[in-house]
Amino acid sequence: MAASAGAASRGLAKRLFRPPAGAWPAACQALARNFHFTVYGKKNASAKVSDSISTQYPVVDHEFDAVVVGAGGAGLRAAFGLSEAGFNTACVTKLFPTRSHTVAAQGGINAALGNMEEDNWRWHFYDTVKGSDWLGDQDAIHYMTEEAPAAVVELENYGMPFSRTEEGKIYQRAFGGQSLQFGKGGQAHRCCCVADRTGHSLLHTLYGRSLRYDTSYFVEYFALDLLMENGECRGVIALCIEDGSIHRLRAKNTVIATGGYGRTFFSCTSAHTSTGDGTAMVTRAGLPCQDLEFVQFHPTGSPRGVKMIKWVLLSLGEEKTRRDSLTRTVGHLVTPCLQGVGIFLVLLGVSSLTPPDFQQLKHSSLGCASPVFSLQIIWSGCFRNGCFYIEGILQRPVFQPATHVSFYIRGCGPEKDHVYLQLHHLPPQQLAMRLPGISETAMIFAGVDVTKEPIPVLPTVHYNMGGIPTNYKGQVITHVNGKDQVVPGLYACGEAASASVHGANRLGANSLLDLVVFGRACALSIAESCKPGEPVPSIKPNAGEESVANLDKLRFANGNIRTSELRLNMQKTMQSHAAVFRTGSVLQEGCEKLSHIYRDLDDLKTFDRGIVWNTDLVETLELQNLMLCAMQTIYGAEARKESRGAHAREDYKVRVDEYDFSKPIQGQQKRPFEEHWRKHTLSFVDVKTGKVTLRYRPVIDKTLNEEDCATVPPAIRSY
Amino acid sequence: MAAAMGLRLLSFSRRALRTPRPSSLPARRGYQGGSPADSRKDLLEIPLPPWQERPSEPLQAKRARLLYESRKRGMLENCLLLSLFAKENLNSMTERQLNLYDRLINEPSNDWDIYYWATEAKPTPEVFENDVMVMLKEFTKNKNKEQRLRQPDLEYLFELSR
Repeated sequence: MAASAGAASRGLAKRLFRPPAGAWPAACQALARNFHFTVYGKKNASAKVSDSISTQYPVVDHEFDAVVVGAGGAGLRAAFGLSEAGFNTACVTKLFPTRSHTVAAQGGINAALGNMEEDNWRWHFYDTVKGSDWLGDQDAIHYMTEEAPAAVVELENYGMPFSRTEEGKIYQRAFGGQSLQFGKGGQAHRCCCVADRTGHSLLHTLYGRSLRYDTSYFVEYFALDLLMENGECRGVIALCIEDGSIHRLRAKNTVIATGGYGRTFFSCTSAHTSTGDGTAMVTRAGLPCQDLEFVQFHPTGSPRGVKMIKWVLLSLGEEKTRRDSLTRTVGHLVTPCLQGVGIFLVLLGVSSLTPPDFQQLKHSSLGCASPVFSLQIIWSGCFRNGCFYIEGILQRPVFQPATHVSFYIRGCGPEKDHVYLQLHHLPPQQLAMRLPGISETAMIFAGVDVTKEPIPVLPTVHYNMGGIPTNYKGQVITHVNGKDQVVPGLYACGEAASASVHGANRLGANSLLDLVVFGRACALSIAESCKPGEPVPSIKPNAGEESVANLDKLRFANGNIRTSELRLNMQKTMQSHAAVFRTGSVLQEGCEKLSHIYRDLDDLKTFDRGIVWNTDLVETLELQNLMLCAMQTIYGAEARKESRGAHAREDYKVRVDEYDFSKPIQGQQKRPFEEHWRKHTLSFVDVKTGKVTLRYRPVIDKTLNEEDCATVPPAIRSY
Repeated sequence: MAAAMGLRLLSFSRRALRTPRPSSLPARRGYQGGSPADSRKDLLEIPLPPWQERPSEPLQAKRARLLYESRKRGMLENCLLLSLFAKENLNSMTERQLNLYDRLINEPSNDWDIYYWATEAKPTPEVFENDVMVMLKEFTKNKNKEQRLRQPDLEYLFELSR
């Protein structure tokens, strides 16, 4: 049972190459049975755009060996892996596969291949465990970092053209948070990329390859719910956005890879498709979601998220305790041209900050995400016209073009949720030459001419560490009587899942790795437990009826609040109450407001009554999903009374573990489970009332093979 | 997921330092890092099924489909640009233009390409050079200096019909 991940997967891989003994896919691809669901919804004909107002929902039933929900990096890897293993696989996606949010990833995949210098996956393991602030499950992290080189080489064999060095080996570059020799050996170069389009290449390669294995793609189908029976997952029910038909895809194995839920916040860098559909589906099925309060904030983006510039400045006057905040924004690209460029950050309304506080900061040396780079920043500040101007210059250019630096700033005042980034003091030619990207994006999206006006910037949501709890094999788990229990037939991978490898904070370039390794793990686990062509479990004749009833209700909703209005309320509440720095009273207020907003879901008003390409309906369904995620996020954040990784509490600034790791453990009394916070949050929502229940589950510290890779004992995280 | 969106970096070669680029040349954007050029092997060797026109699709359905496809893109920049472009232009486009737009937003496999062509960071391939592309490029320039920070609420579709 404690077999090393490497041996286990090698064993599994062997099985895959043996032809299945006499197994033929028994179930045919589509058992179309036109079954009319008659749901008597409200027939309100006030909208004029659509012409078909029908309450008849034709349902088409399908049978597959496996269904994957979501066609991003993780979904495609799982679908491809399953198809390659001979399973009759369906992939349900609301977007065309190459348009999944993975395409936005331009960074790379971390893997300890050792092409640039001597490297060891155990060092990568250490970095990831430390980055997660000891909330990551060490067995999953062990699995991921050990499998990483094999996964990257595998992708390469499938046709992904990784960038190469002159010798022909895969080129690896530096990324924040990656070190050698367990943090003592300097910056590691582990990030493998495909020029600047790693995400796109991943999607293109996997999608193209999976088509050769006859994967059935249900493109532009919105998965509504899981079909659960007796605690087992037996498939999904989905809406075809093109013609409004309902499809029930029955399968012995369902893999959820729907991505994150950045859109719960007002300002986020994710596409409008990151709406937590899978996470909400699992919540509606009565299963828990894990660690949703851990949301990674990107340093500065313009309001509503378009990233203008990647600067994070240190919170004024709190440099020592805010070191943690630096690691929150690991791995952001900075161009060498920003070095030597002076910028002004204008803070409005900070009249209470006295120049002496500022002087304290003046000669501080900031450690950024990587333990190696320490940056001397010479600050000067002046206070005039009610504004505080900070001038900063990146001093020592210790970075290669590909490396990263970030420093952190806090917004000003409760209402003024942003700061202004002033660049117009720089000569226009210099701006155009050295910072063309910012000038352009500022004009296109904010209508701001950077040679004349400052750009508003504020922290934006970037990634969700939390999600559907799984074990290292990708199987969804729930926690019963103090033990983890696998939910039969259900798997999850990617940003939607929480394996948990990222724990309380994610390191850059580990996310693409997470997608690939756990997408593969789901395929391998399914191949290990089932054979292609096995009988698909049956479902009740009216399975999925509630989902269709909900759909019908939303389609004819004629309350008082528009979808867009409710969504904005939710986003604003989350942004102001559960943003970067969280305080108890503010969180509690946010919880109450959000619960109120949740109840408003019953009072929605939609406009489009049609069923063909009804974007309004789809966005309303997405709103329901976002709302469930938001509730769990804010309630989880309110309950967690400590600061760990991305969850920063102003009133509880310290990490609360079972021992105080800043002192030697000898002689310390171990705190009982209820009194410390080194545990995963499991949140449940009662969909009808909006009541959030929180339970906790311990972090898995034991690795898959203690001799091969020792557990990293918790320590105080400092960079 | 790496955080390289939104900031286009200028690759800094020694030559560039000594001889600054004349302002007429568009600055090279796209993350260059320190890695060699893109071999594009995957795009050449793994062709995806070609985009297909839908000649029998009713016009109304085509507009509705293109609206959905404009709003749901791979990254935020395209979500904003295309949804706002769709709001302004979709209802007034002719069938021919709708087909051109359909091809533009559905054929390229890399969403970033559409963004680079619209912002003129990279040259538009010949096959997409048409009046719709010109409209998109004009729109992207944001001559009216509007704030494009949110997708338009869908109500505008229904206000028209009242």
